Amino acid sequence: MANASAYRGTGFDFSNYARNSFLEKKGVPLPKATSTGTTIVGCIFKDGVVLGADTRATEGDIVADKNCEKIHYITENIRCCGAGTAADTEFTTAMISSNMELHSLSTGRIPRVVTAMTMLKQYLFRYQGHVGAALVLGGVDSTGSHLFTIAPHGSADKLPYVTMGSGSLAAMAVFESGWKPNMDRQEALNLVVAAVSAGIFNDLGSGSNVDTCVITKDHTEMLRNYRKPNERVQKENTYKFRRGTTAWTKEKIRELVVDETVVPLPHPVSAGGDAMDTS
Amino acid sequence: MQRQFNPYTENGGTILAIAGADFAVIAGDTRQTEGFNIQTRYAPKVFRLTDKAVLAVNGFAADGNMFVKKVKQRLEWYRHAHAKDMPLRAIARLIQTMLYAQRFFPYYVYNILGGIEDDGSGAVYSFDPVGSYERETCRAAGAAQQLVQPFLDNQIYFKNQVPPPGVAGGHPTHLPLDRVLSIVTDSFTSATERHIEVGDGLELYVVLAKGRSPQGLEGLRAAHVREVTGHTDGERVFVINQELKKD
Amino acid sequence: MQVDIQHLKKGEVNLGTSIMAVQFDGGVVIGADSRTTMGSYIANRVTDKLTHIHDRIYCCRSGSAADTQAIADIVHYYSQMYNQQYGERPSVHSVATLFQRMCYGNKDQLSAGIIVAGWDSEVGPSVYNIPLGGGLFRQPWAIGGSGSTYVYGYCDATYRDGWGRDETVNFVKNTLALAMSRDGSSGGVIRMCVITKDGVERLFVPGNELPKFWEGKEVIGNVSKAEVLPDPMAIEV
Repeated sequence: MANASAYRGTGFDFSNYARNSFLEKKGVPLPKATSTGTTIVGCIFKDGVVLGADTRATEGDIVADKNCEKIHYITENIRCCGAGTAADTEFTTAMISSNMELHSLSTGRIPRVVTAMTMLKQYLFRYQGHVGAALVLGGVDSTGSHLFTIAPHGSADKLPYVTMGSGSLAAMAVFESGWKPNMDRQEALNLVVAAVSAGIFNDLGSGSNVDTCVITKDHTEMLRNYRKPNERVQKENTYKFRRGTTAWTKEKIRELVVDETVVPLPHPVSAGGDAMDTS
Repeated sequence: MQRQFNPYTENGGTILAIAGADFAVIAGDTRQTEGFNIQTRYAPKVFRLTDKAVLAVNGFAADGNMFVKKVKQRLEWYRHAHAKDMPLRAIARLIQTMLYAQRFFPYYVYNILGGIEDDGSGAVYSFDPVGSYERETCRAAGAAQQLVQPFLDNQIYFKNQVPPPGVAGGHPTHLPLDRVLSIVTDSFTSATERHIEVGDGLELYVVLAKGRSPQGLEGLRAAHVREVTGHTDGERVFVINQELKKD
Repeated sequence: MQVDIQHLKKGEVNLGTSIMAVQFDGGVVIGADSRTTMGSYIANRVTDKLTHIHDRIYCCRSGSAADTQAIADIVHYYSQMYNQQYGERPSVHSVATLFQRMCYGNKDQLSAGIIVAGWDSEVGPSVYNIPLGGGLFRQPWAIGGSGSTYVYGYCDATYRDGWGRDETVNFVKNTLALAMSRDGSSGGVIRMCVITKDGVERLFVPGNELPKFWEGKEVIGNVSKAEVLPDPMAIEV
């Protein structure tokens, strides 16, 4: 075997691949990734773009996070909603965000939405769908308002209103019946809330609150928990346990504060007498 | 590789039952799901069989409804033959026989039977899909069983709880009705928070032993409580409906 | 082992498509439906499958949306580089060859059926078909995608040499309408481009103005002579 390199290359680490496929053959299941079985939407209006998302993250049929953030920062004028494997959407958008910042620094311009879209689709295409990120990308740049969806295999679509995730059908039904061109800010916001709500209430993979983000030419407003239609109800009982409820097998008390008494030694009498032998 | 028709579906939801000294509470949520879709927000999973027996079914809804229908039919035949309602322990044994008859093409359902025994005590019987059963004090089944059962073990059976010193007899074996009802409500509101297939509504049956006062029920708002007792001067059955979150 | 090329990648966005390109004396007409599907869900009902490659060269994409977009982006880039390096536009044949190399060289990883069409100064108008395996065929007309199987007979029976622009546009429009009406994976609107020496003209046929052909007549129910039209939203009591 060649010497193991002391340095790590960039990108994914495949060193556990052989071990994991061996374990899988033996019948050990791979751990389940947190999936944002999600409703994410986007909609273009007169002055810009509105993005929307629910806030539920699931692990199978269990709710892993009741108030997670699915609208990710790309640049000041571009945001991206993520559905699919939570880790993939978070990492992919964070990495593209970094690259967009570097790109903007090197060009000295406000970055464009197509640039982010191209970076994302080329990255996802490279991994042939194994990076499971389904994205809704929206923003405003020097060429106007733009809205895209990017599927996990790396295909992109440009549309005036889009939905993604497990609740995409419920949300699209709202858009297909309620969308009209040149809406004002509040109309678009209301439609996006209605679309995400349709996902929250009719799709089990989506739930909790509505996050929205309004992007216009010179302002981006992140409206976290814009609507909270699913507040937790008050419990009937209090579940406080009496001190001493938990059984114990042994008791041991350690003094953590250590008291020390310093006793100064008497000075050595003379050099010739009891001096330590250091030879 | 060959594809095969699968006659079973899992329709989500959760049921639970708790026995008191002279009452039983049997509850289930009313959501019915398939995959990530809600089929209906109100599909009852708990059914009154007689004045002293209530059956909760969970799993494959079509099988559950069919099974309840057949149990009810058998109980009616019994009533015509013997001019009385079948005792609870007999219903439990009947359900075992009916489930085991389908040993190699089972009803895809978990059953929990709750009610009042002939001696006037509250009882809960829980079954697996092919008829294995036992009498217990409490049991949860269905989609959120893994969430609810440990909670009941802790709150009903006082598992992992050391009794306070100086209390004679340690933990109580049966809790009062109002406490049981609040634990049931909290079980379902909590399961709704963390399980995607639980929600929409809670339907709760209370069976009271003969002669027991409805003490413990009066704290609830009257609009949500309905009496569904068949015959007077015997056990009494009440239904309580509550809202659960709908996301 | 039989590898089914259609199921190599699960859950992917597909252009189950009807696409077409026809050459005529002064140029080429290309056309496509607008449906993009994910399984039975229509992910985009107004897709533009006519993709710009160079000033006078377009391609029609069918198969996986991700694969065909990636290939078209790369060929688009090469075409621009070609123009910069040689100071002239690439020929349709050159561009089609670029497509063919990508499709052939990566055939076991791709599901892409592409038609390249355009105008160049060497041969005038031309149409190239690059089907699934990565072959390259120059044809006077080419059809592709899942909807094309329904209309080979129609094209064989209808196509004539020596048509002008308008006849060709009508041929493309009618063929696509027929394909879209039979193929469930095709539908929406018809998008067309007429590419000539002088430029590219885009044509658009909305979904409610597609050419109509025989659609059958009501057989079930007794349709009376007075032809009473039923209320479409009526509920039977």
